[in-house]
Amino acid sequence: MTESDGTGGSLINRMAIAVMSLIGLFVCLYLLSHYYGLTGPLVCGVGDCGAVQASPYAKVGNIPLSAFGLIGYVVLLATSFLGLQPGKRDSRAVSVVLLGAATFGVGVSAYLTYLEAAVIHAWCQWCVISATLMVFIFFASFPEIGRLRADASEAT
Amino acid sequence: MSKRAEQRREAREQGGSEMTTFYWVFGVVAVLGVAIVGYSVGSDAFGQAVSEPIEIEGLDNMETLVAMAQGVTRGDPDAPVTIVEFADYQCPACGAFGLSVKPRVDLTYVETGKAKFVYYDFPLIQIHEHAFLAARAGRCANDQGKFWEFQDQLFRNQPSWPTASSPTSKFMDYAVTVGLDEDAFESCVNSDRHADVVSANMRLAQELGIEGTPTIMVSSGAGMARRLNNFDFQSIESVVEDLLATIEGN
Repeated sequence: MTESDGTGGSLINRMAIAVMSLIGLFVCLYLLSHYYGLTGPLVCGVGDCGAVQASPYAKVGNIPLSAFGLIGYVVLLATSFLGLQPGKRDSRAVSVVLLGAATFGVGVSAYLTYLEAAVIHAWCQWCVISATLMVFIFFASFPEIGRLRADASEAT
Repeated sequence: MSKRAEQRREAREQGGSEMTTFYWVFGVVAVLGVAIVGYSVGSDAFGQAVSEPIEIEGLDNMETLVAMAQGVTRGDPDAPVTIVEFADYQCPACGAFGLSVKPRVDLTYVETGKAKFVYYDFPLIQIHEHAFLAARAGRCANDQGKFWEFQDQLFRNQPSWPTASSPTSKFMDYAVTVGLDEDAFESCVNSDRHADVVSANMRLAQELGIEGTPTIMVSSGAGMARRLNNFDFQSIESVVEDLLATIEGN
């Protein structure tokens, strides 16, 4: 049996976004707690997290990027969760926010990955995990386009 | 009933088994995440105080190195003259400079807006066992805006903490003296925080050919920095006044 929105489409993409956003949220929480000195050294089996975290690109002003990531994942998590509730499954706003946040997130992740590869010349496994999650979230948001189209055709 | 309405009805009737599975997966991820992040916070499980430099890639580019090796600045960032110090907290000469010369430099040039003072760490780890940890502790104090006060404590207590088998408890005492948040400071010291920045500071010193501490350099604008052979007040005064006169002449 498949949980579905009002149009009969599966909501599994929103479930996937919610789970992946939750994982991303914990990744950001871990990086943020390290930034504020609450943990021991970063676990970094692959790459050089220290070089990436110490680079000038790891912060905007005095705010670490993980704080922005945390906000992004909270938005995705809250919206996808909301979009799974019976009263909000047909909500156009949910689809728009999921698509917009996923697209913005994947764009930012692509830029940060470029910085790691071409400017910092070092990789942080946590950043790579986050970027990978964002790519999957981006693909998982595609069914929202169909929902918006169905919504538009129903309106006409 | 229309076909679409029929589809909707069927969809609604379709059970919550998928949602149930989702909630289970979500719950397991949530519990695991809270457990892992919670375990790492405030725990030594993922490491202990880093007291040695770490390897950092990508520092061959001087621009990247300078950006990563963040000095700690005192005074007006737009001051016409910059006085740079590379120092080691365990070095007695640095202590003497920090306690007797630097206050005069601050009074005469930094507080009058004529110069800014930028401090870089250069722990001489080959001869000073706790110098790297002390440099990190200084940076932890800087997180709370008490860098210079904590530095003063490190220099004043040079006869004490360098001989301790583990100086962290001494650093904690100094943290209390200068009014730092003890928990935040302790967590910071007992981690690898700032190990990268201090390591980058050391690399910068090496790239600049600095061999000893304290090393004092004075510059203005984009001009070449003058490295001083001595670190007494008169030597600094002579170069700073010369630079200020040149700036005024222009």
